[in-house]
Amino acid sequence: MSTTLLKLHTPPQVPLETEVISPTSLSGLSESGIEHLQVMHGNVKAKLGDFFKVTGKGGSDIHLEGDLSNVKMIGTGMSTGKITIDGDVGMHVGMGMSGGEILVHGDAGDWVGPEMSGGRIVVKGNAGHMVGSAYRGQPAGISGGEIFIYGNAKNEIGNSMRRGFIAIGGNAGDFTGVNMLAGTIIVAGEMGIRTGAGMKRGTIASLQSAPMLPTFEYSCTYHPLFLRFYLIRLQENGFRRIIQDKHLNGKYKRYSGDGIELNRGEVLLFAR
Amino acid sequence: MVEATQTKSKESKNIKIVKDATCTFCGCVCDDMELTVDLDEHRITKAKKACVLGRAWFYEHTIDDRPVVLIDGKEATLEEGIETAAQVLVDAKFPITYGLSDSTCEAQRVAVEIMDIINGSIDTTTSVCHGPSGMAFQGVGESTATLGEIKNRADLVIYWGGNPAESHPRHFTKYAVTPKGMYIPNGKKDRTVVLVDVRRTPSTPLADIFVLIKPGKDFEVLWALRALVKGKKISENIEKDTGVSREVLDDLVSRMKNAQYGVLFFGMGLTMTRGRHFNSGAILSLASDLNEFTHFVAKPVRGHGNVTGADNVVSWQTGYPFGVNFNRGFPRFNPGEFTTTDVFSRGEADAAMIIASDPASNFPKKAIEHMKKIPIISLDAKDTCTSKIAKVRFAVATYGINTGGTVYRMDDVPISLRPAFDSPFPSDQEVLEGIRNRVKELLKGDKARLAA
Ligand code: SF4
Repeated sequence: MSTTLLKLHTPPQVPLETEVISPTSLSGLSESGIEHLQVMHGNVKAKLGDFFKVTGKGGSDIHLEGDLSNVKMIGTGMSTGKITIDGDVGMHVGMGMSGGEILVHGDAGDWVGPEMSGGRIVVKGNAGHMVGSAYRGQPAGISGGEIFIYGNAKNEIGNSMRRGFIAIGGNAGDFTGVNMLAGTIIVAGEMGIRTGAGMKRGTIASLQSAPMLPTFEYSCTYHPLFLRFYLIRLQENGFRRIIQDKHLNGKYKRYSGDGIELNRGEVLLFAR
Repeated sequence: MVEATQTKSKESKNIKIVKDATCTFCGCVCDDMELTVDLDEHRITKAKKACVLGRAWFYEHTIDDRPVVLIDGKEATLEEGIETAAQVLVDAKFPITYGLSDSTCEAQRVAVEIMDIINGSIDTTTSVCHGPSGMAFQGVGESTATLGEIKNRADLVIYWGGNPAESHPRHFTKYAVTPKGMYIPNGKKDRTVVLVDVRRTPSTPLADIFVLIKPGKDFEVLWALRALVKGKKISENIEKDTGVSREVLDDLVSRMKNAQYGVLFFGMGLTMTRGRHFNSGAILSLASDLNEFTHFVAKPVRGHGNVTGADNVVSWQTGYPFGVNFNRGFPRFNPGEFTTTDVFSRGEADAAMIIASDPASNFPKKAIEHMKKIPIISLDAKDTCTSKIAKVRFAVATYGINTGGTVYRMDDVPISLRPAFDSPFPSDQEVLEGIRNRVKELLKGDKARLAA
């Protein structure tokens, strides 16, 4: 498999929107074909080549180098292949993707994998707000796929998610799993306040204790077998240092909620 | 229509009386003012019916002697100012317009048009006050009413996270607490007034019931109320967590369910504390839930004069209330991405037009630092921190005092302005129209922009 290398030579002065950077749009294009793809530099149309030096034909394996924290929408709608980003990346990475993998060796901005339906995003650093969430005004967030953040993530992780799996290695902000419809969120670190507000179904688990809303009811302390399999999968995917054996075998406090909604969701907090 | 009579008083002063003038200082937008204007001195000498804040607003406005336009601190003509401003905007790749709350709807409309033409972003002070409510309306909807309806019908009035006695002095007396209404013949005697806040304020003595909650626990209390209204269970630790006992909550719920017509007014104490749009969402949802039992509405108590108009104009022109981006030729709404504080804090905008507001004094430090690096165009009736760092600074006339136009009251009712006296300064609408016309000329068949 040949690699397409995109190296940032001119950092954008204002946000650059590059939804064309995805294996689907690059495949079959020559180097100059890729450099001629259109991007939006603020309100001005520009070419990808104005910012990136391209090496190699367009294929399913794309490498990006440089500080891309001001570059938005990388991997929009991708369905196959792999994007590796050596550095930080801006907002909306992997927006609406349905397959393939995005690997970020740095921090990611807000809205990681918004409304994705499949595939996988791995962020080795921290992420911003709204990881795997719905856009404002949309009824549902991600409907499939996996998002793994090794570091911390901010507020509203998995807002309105319908299916899929989100794991956070560090701490989470407030309103984790707010309005969740279904799916699974695991936070290894501490969660902020108001976890699971308005959730209908789904599971939010944490390896730490967390403050609960008054509408969540304690049901029992038990060992959820299924969680063990999720945690093993995370151990195999780079969370080995954080997830220990006691977490695999231990007991969890189960709260059911949100009482205002269907009350079919659960929050599992590691007990001992 | 303007009912102005010009008479000569004993001191042979040129005195004018303006009846039914409008105060634009706060979101109440009282339109029953009677102003006495001294036309020789260019100032208002008496403002009948105005509250303390309104009087201060009317009295402090005189015509000061300062240049209409400053470019890089040097005096210039209006044409030069418009030319430079248009150049700055046309050259920018990620321009943003912010403010608009102390401006007429007519001017707001031109500002939106300019951003539409140059594919910039438009944002209003809503994004730092009741923006979260705007996001919540979109998420959970809104059960609403006009203040007139509330005055005539509401027998249970709840204020949450606000201090109207000091911020909106006539809210109590003109609309919601003391006035007699069609179905509230005895005024305050027929109403139950509840105040919910994290501390006692000058508004507190007015309330029949005062509920003191722990700071930052609004969402939890609202959530518990929602559960109780729906007949669901809540945690036994509620008093320990929120400072409000189960008895108080039960009493409140039964009052809400048994009211003829209830209203929840909420202020920035709710919308700008931790949880923001979810807090507003919770109170709007509570009002919706209560409609299963009785009629209940929720209304944000808006601060600045015409911030409601800004929401209305921007929504009507773009489909979204604030934080709208036109980079691609069509409107996109994403608070957090296109809202001014965020755009400045991340150092993204490369030019900004600030209309009738002062972000350089109240934004986060990081955002202000970025503002100092980019060209700013400022339109304001007074000198502010923002106008001092502006590349182009326009001094404009004060809306409602020097210029007419339309403003929206906090309940989305449009009200016409009746200006008191003329000003030598242009209105912000005139300046904006000048900029718009020049921008249009400059952009004719030019640049690699998207055809809007
Ligand atoms: S309540 Fe507000 S609008 Fe009314 S007079 Fe006072 S400051 Fe002006």
